[in-house]
Amino acid sequence: MAPQDLRIEAEEARLLILRMLRGGRSGHVGGALSCVDILTTLYFDEMDIDPLEPTRPDRDRFILSAGHKALAQYAVLARRGYFPEPWVDTYSDLGSRLAGHPDMHKLPGVEANTGALGHGLSIACGIALGLRLQERRSRVFVVLGDGELPEGSNWEGAAMAAHHQLGNVVAFVDVNDLQISGRTADVMNMEPIADKFAAFGWKVRTIDGNDVEQIQGVLAEVDRDSSSPTAVVAQTTKAKGVSSLEDTAASHYWKPAAAEMAEAEAEIRARLQQLSLQTVAR
Amino acid sequence: MTAAPELVDPRKTFGQAVTEFAADDSRVVVLSADSGVSSGFGAFRDRFPGRYLEFGIQEHGATGVASGLATTGLVPVFAAIAAFVTNRNYEAFRNDVAYMGQNVKIVGRNGGMTYSDLGPTHYSLEDYAIIRMLPGVVVLSPQDPGEIRAAARAMLTHEGPVYMRIGGPAIANLFAEGPFVIGKGRTHRSGDVATVVSTGPATANTIAAVDALRAEGVTLDLLCMPTVEPVDAELIIESATRTGHVITVEEHYDRGGLSAAVSECLGPLRVRHDAIGLPHQHVITGTYEGLLATYGLDAEGLTRQLRDIVAAGRPASAK
Repeated sequence: MAPQDLRIEAEEARLLILRMLRGGRSGHVGGALSCVDILTTLYFDEMDIDPLEPTRPDRDRFILSAGHKALAQYAVLARRGYFPEPWVDTYSDLGSRLAGHPDMHKLPGVEANTGALGHGLSIACGIALGLRLQERRSRVFVVLGDGELPEGSNWEGAAMAAHHQLGNVVAFVDVNDLQISGRTADVMNMEPIADKFAAFGWKVRTIDGNDVEQIQGVLAEVDRDSSSPTAVVAQTTKAKGVSSLEDTAASHYWKPAAAEMAEAEAEIRARLQQLSLQTVAR
Repeated sequence: MTAAPELVDPRKTFGQAVTEFAADDSRVVVLSADSGVSSGFGAFRDRFPGRYLEFGIQEHGATGVASGLATTGLVPVFAAIAAFVTNRNYEAFRNDVAYMGQNVKIVGRNGGMTYSDLGPTHYSLEDYAIIRMLPGVVVLSPQDPGEIRAAARAMLTHEGPVYMRIGGPAIANLFAEGPFVIGKGRTHRSGDVATVVSTGPATANTIAAVDALRAEGVTLDLLCMPTVEPVDAELIIESATRTGHVITVEEHYDRGGLSAAVSECLGPLRVRHDAIGLPHQHVITGTYEGLLATYGLDAEGLTRQLRDIVAAGRPASAK
């Protein structure tokens, strides 16, 4: 998909993320907005998937280890056609298919029940091993948050992916530098993240994780037949795309007032219009 | 004088049963946390090297892997020391296996206090309690080699998460080998004074104690339960209704495990229930036989405890 079309899709997803917070709802919007360009590129451009056959055995898999960023996954799954878009309006309702964390048994396209941090990488390794044992060439993509890296289980996953030579695993670390309490560097500094993954035996690339062309570029380099898993250290901006929230810890969990919501939506709509005009101009 | 019964290693029995099953079911894969051979999987590793996955000493990650493997249609069996595959990885067991509803089999070996000299870090005296709190997880506790073989097959055939606890020290055959139905117990001795419900390797000494009391004229109904969750409520209620008194026996804390499962199903009956198990404290170390004797779980101790409970209506360990 052309980068411009991906940018438009990502902005549409941002609008859906905000739509899920209408009516006095609240959610983990900061991380959702920081990783949504990665999810958009994966679901629209990279992964071998079929929304009409979401459990096809040879599909590529996506695991949102940072499960609280579910708003981004819901928005992209809805845009990609996994479920009717109006379902997003049930976000966080009693018994909704769309809760604060994803549930594989409730929503097509969700592959694991994440939310507790530090679980996704090991689950992804299990899927990757299972696919390889069954001689399937499918790949497993994971999004980790930088804030979850202190969980030791991530490094169990990092070790096993390298040891078992899981070249079919690609893990993005959404490095938005912030978590609930403040700067990740101040709360628990896990830098140098790239060096840590490299030391575990991963191939590591560092990109701007809000730039779809860089995301596409790094994905084009991944060799699924390699004996090394790939870590993409994606430098992002927390709450990217809503300027009043960007790069603030307060955006981690946000309950927008009506006026704040209107302003945020207007900002995204204006950007969408600009992107569309650029497309037409070409 | 009768010949001493043949004793066999429960871990080898278990590993062999899984290996035989796996010969006919290519979905079965084994996960090891530097623990596969000690868990009886040496033969499996030699026979199916591609299906034997080593992760080194880590249980949380390996449990997540088991969940991921299961999502691709495989049947992962993760066996290691019971204390570590229930405690260290509890959140992964809870979220990745139970909540995700995955067809994962987790087997805790050297359960109870069989690592007697290694101490409380290596004991599992709360595993039934914590795992039976996870909705949808079957908890198996086979009592003799035949049941271990049959339970292994039942575990692998069952669709869904299973935790099975086996011991370490060699054990004797207690029952004729037969079909294993998850959630079903067996009446092994009949009596009318009280109902004794036992599980796991503790059943061997319980049988001896029940037989010793029979010689004294005290006949006890003995229900042997290889499934702790879901417990065979029908069998227990039927017996408890007749005897009016239930006594549970397990190598586990005297609360939370089989005792709680039985107590919960007895609720409406208002029958007396006494629980024999380990007192709720960090138990001492030593030889396994020494520990069983200390805590009244050897044949003599159980005979004494059962006699006292029946006579006085309160457990000897509470005195």
